[in-house]
Amino acid sequence: MQKKSLIKKITGSREALLAIILIILFALITAVSPSFLTPKSLMDMLKNNAVTLVMALGMLCVMLVGGIDISIMSTLALSGMSIGMLLKYGVISGTVTAFLIAMIIGLVCGALVGLVISRANVPPIIATMGFMYVFRAMGYLVSNGGEWASAAALGSFKNFATSKLLGLNCVIWVIIACYVIFFFFMKWTRTGRKIYAVGSNSNAAEVSGINVKNIKLMVYMIMGFLAGLGGALQVSIYASAMPDMQQGGEMDVIAACVIGGVSMSGGRGSVIGALLGALVLATIAKALPLIPFFDQLWLNTIKGVIILVVVVVNVILQRVTDKNTLKGREM
Amino acid sequence: MAGKSGRSINNVPESPMKQILFSWEGILVIVLVLVNVFCVWFSEYYNTFNLLRQMPVYLAEVFLMLPMAFILVLGEIDISVGSIVCLSATAACIVCNTGAPFVAVILAAIAVGTVCGAVNGCILTRFPELPPMIVTLATQIIFRGIAEIVLGSGGSISANNTDGFRAISGKVGSVPYILFLVLILAVIAAVILGKSTFGRRVYAIGTNRLTAYYSGIHVQKIRFIIYTVMGSISGLCALFLVASSYGANTTTGNGFEMDAIAMAVFGGISSTGGKGNIAGGLISAFIIVCLRVGLGQRNVHAQVILLIVGLLLIGAVALPNIVGQIQRAVKMKK
Amino acid sequence: MSEYVLELKGITKIFPGVKALNNVQFQLKPGEVHALMGENGAGKSTFIKVITGVHKAEEGEMFLNGQKVDFKGPRDAQAAGIAAVYQHPTSYPDLTVAENIFMGHEIIRHGMIQWKTMNKEANALLANLNADFDATAEMGTLSVAQQQMVEIAKALSTNAKIIILDEPTAALTKRESEELYRIVDKLREDGVSVIFISHRFEDMYRLASRVTVFRDSQYIGTYDVDGITNADLIKAMVGREISDLFPKPEVKLGKEMLRVENLSRVGYFKNVSFNVHAGEIVGLTGLVGAGRTEVVESICGITNLDEGKVYLEGQEVKIKQPSDAMEKGIILLPEDRQKAGLIMSWGLGRNVTLPTISKYAKHGFNDNKKERELSKQLLEEVDTKAVDIFQPASSLSGGNQQKVVVAKALSQEMKVVIMDEPTKGVDVGAKAEIYAIMGELAQKGYAIVLISSEMPEILGMSDRVIIMCNGRKTGELGRQEATQERILEFAMEKGHSGKEADR
Repeated sequence: MQKKSLIKKITGSREALLAIILIILFALITAVSPSFLTPKSLMDMLKNNAVTLVMALGMLCVMLVGGIDISIMSTLALSGMSIGMLLKYGVISGTVTAFLIAMIIGLVCGALVGLVISRANVPPIIATMGFMYVFRAMGYLVSNGGEWASAAALGSFKNFATSKLLGLNCVIWVIIACYVIFFFFMKWTRTGRKIYAVGSNSNAAEVSGINVKNIKLMVYMIMGFLAGLGGALQVSIYASAMPDMQQGGEMDVIAACVIGGVSMSGGRGSVIGALLGALVLATIAKALPLIPFFDQLWLNTIKGVIILVVVVVNVILQRVTDKNTLKGREM
Repeated sequence: MAGKSGRSINNVPESPMKQILFSWEGILVIVLVLVNVFCVWFSEYYNTFNLLRQMPVYLAEVFLMLPMAFILVLGEIDISVGSIVCLSATAACIVCNTGAPFVAVILAAIAVGTVCGAVNGCILTRFPELPPMIVTLATQIIFRGIAEIVLGSGGSISANNTDGFRAISGKVGSVPYILFLVLILAVIAAVILGKSTFGRRVYAIGTNRLTAYYSGIHVQKIRFIIYTVMGSISGLCALFLVASSYGANTTTGNGFEMDAIAMAVFGGISSTGGKGNIAGGLISAFIIVCLRVGLGQRNVHAQVILLIVGLLLIGAVALPNIVGQIQRAVKMKK
Repeated sequence: MSEYVLELKGITKIFPGVKALNNVQFQLKPGEVHALMGENGAGKSTFIKVITGVHKAEEGEMFLNGQKVDFKGPRDAQAAGIAAVYQHPTSYPDLTVAENIFMGHEIIRHGMIQWKTMNKEANALLANLNADFDATAEMGTLSVAQQQMVEIAKALSTNAKIIILDEPTAALTKRESEELYRIVDKLREDGVSVIFISHRFEDMYRLASRVTVFRDSQYIGTYDVDGITNADLIKAMVGREISDLFPKPEVKLGKEMLRVENLSRVGYFKNVSFNVHAGEIVGLTGLVGAGRTEVVESICGITNLDEGKVYLEGQEVKIKQPSDAMEKGIILLPEDRQKAGLIMSWGLGRNVTLPTISKYAKHGFNDNKKERELSKQLLEEVDTKAVDIFQPASSLSGGNQQKVVVAKALSQEMKVVIMDEPTKGVDVGAKAEIYAIMGELAQKGYAIVLISSEMPEILGMSDRVIIMCNGRKTGELGRQEATQERILEFAMEKGHSGKEADR
């Protein structure tokens, strides 16, 4: 019985399914273009999708409690633009300082969003829609009305994304660190499990003494913090800061989570799922130009269709499962 | 009936005056006046003539607020409208450039919008378990994505024959057609939502979907109609948008869904459903339009105006909740 | 050391407009299983919530092992060793069994959750209860009985000394109930005191040594189970002779209005057939989870049938959605008034006219004047205790809310009225009024289906009783032959006969 359930676990789990899809995608792309499966190409892919990968973790937490955050790319722009300008005008010069400042700005933004949602009971979509405007506009104001911080102005900061540590790019180290930390946090700490509990049944969580409001505040702060980190990464990787960077990018992050099996109504989703979802998305983006007829212009449409298909298939599968459970009921 | 106590139940409503004076709409009217006073002080060019002249660009979005109000009253949300506007505008330009008569252009824009809206409605009613937010999020990407594919690598198209568009951006005296159209549609929307059986059912669904269903209301049919009309009106909005810029590109209509939602929510239409009316939405739409015109005249950047709109949106929902919490806390202490 | 592990004195709990508990008392001996009985709305659930610290009583004292205690919240009660297992398990469906058991008191070492230890301990607890599932199973995939077992394991994991079971057998099959009896026996042997709420006499006889009865928010008495007869207990619970409460008028039955044949819906019910005549009240009863509500919901188009036919006045009708049913003349007054019957924030008038709004309308526009007239008339007809038609439905008591729901049905030409638990959460006075309305409807020639779990109500009001068990119709009794015992016999006919008949 134990063994059977193990097999069922693998075939039935979203993560395993995604991993298989990812391997198939890899195989197909390698067949068309053998240069894809080289370390350099893979590392480039990871690096170019670092922002989405890292922020998917925050979105995972937010969606686990049944929320959503579409203000994240504005937070990213605000924090990234802030350090861009600070570096440009020589206020700061250290890479570490820049990262810290970006993350603190992100954390504050996240706290604001979290307070409005958890304390003033504003629906997450409305609150984050508002903050999307507000933070983006603040990023614009910080940039002195649309100035860029170009590569030359960033000094040594931009080197972070090109330097290596133990043979691996620093950006990739950041991704690995984030995923390792979150993997432990979500699975092995009490706070991590509280996030799941609140999303799964917030009434029961309240009864068992979990402060639901604080957990909600916390997830938006985590999201903001990671958006700040994303801002620093973005500026470093693309060696420039501009106020309109990553506009619309929140859709990629949400898409990564949805594909990775994170439920929109909360309680379901895993770190591995978010990782695989983001990777599938990145791989498709990378593979698209290799396929004749399709080109880069099709990317968004295909992303949208994938999200739609994933959520619809989820509903259909759920209906089938429910029906089967009912059939099995003794009468 | 036997065992009846003969109790009489009052059915005479209170005088409407009292209701109007102490309503959110009342406050909004005051805000509208204050905003106009501020604009006159802020910009020397702010007067009726200039307001009417500069208004049309912003008025196109007010169209979207009307069906969005219905969707919000249902307790739902549609964030794909900006993308529908983009796709409809693209379609309008393409049809226009084939040399087709302008009627065909109008039909194309509205038809494309309607189809997009119907797609949303169809998915949402076939799978009522799905949250509208995620579905319209996906279609938002898809509709704009299709526009991107159609527009090709240039990412923009301009209308070659602008006669028709010039015609619809015409004026009666100094009042633009679009203002009339907005007001007419607003009156129609207000009557449907406020006075018709359809509107009553929309409120019922938004307040308690289950009771509405048990009471024999065709919940899914009504949802489908509203999402489809949302699409049609997006097509109309696209038409007037093209009329002001004679073209479309991949960013056309970007963020329009946010503006429409902000106008409606600031106008007192609850995003959780069942509350609010068109009048509030319309007044708040004009507050935002006047603010944009006024600030725009002194070259205040669009981003600053967006910042204000964002704060209005959050504040309009957060403030009543906070006030309510404080009131409850005070009551508890007593 | 006090004689009692738990003692409550003079507890009064007031909700806005209602005294939910009025000066009640309760004593629990160590290691005893104590049944708490009473009709729906007698105040049992509120009382439990006072014990577990969910509600705070306005008056009264509570003693634990002779010490006065004052719980600020559920955590305090938990810490004091009191755990409650509710009828609908309050679990986390997306998490594993082990997590559900240890939520709030996870086993932690070096800041890390010890999954292995937790699973092991959870499995030990489950093995103790003879559970047939693993601690790593996902909660949402378990049956209700299994989820209840998890809840009991959860209570045991906190070393609870007092465990409260709120209608634990309501959703269980016969075999599952036996399993639960065994677990409760085991708990008692381990020295745990158990408070047991149930509607089923069988549960009480099988498990409890003493029984306390509540009625109309008041304490009636505590009896030894061995020393009380069924009849006395019912009298204590209902408080009057049944005939007083149920003014069932003699109505001459008319023609057959509704007939259903072989209704089936996979997983809910199978081959259910019955009919109702004009002027007749047919009681549809059975234990919770027998499929009664599901049957009538399918008849009214809330959900769809897999098989079976519905005839109205001899004509077969196809009903796909509630509006179809209403057009044909069948209306369901749902069990959950607040969620499915009324729009609580709306005025009474609008609630009444909701199903028929288009009939008052002129060209699709509401005729407010006509609407106000009609709703006033209907609300007065059912004698709603209301000041005006604009006051929100939430301002009324349960009984008056139910009357508004009835008025909703009267707003249109109906032939068949199906009432699902019409007196649930209604105080006794209002109950009698609802029964009177029901009787009048029958006299007017409506065909009425009354779904109820309350035996006196079924016996008092029905011309005919149909009993369901586990998704099947197991019996049908005329007014004269129906007795509590016979109905229970059919209602408890679980698993066995039904299953064997199938083979």
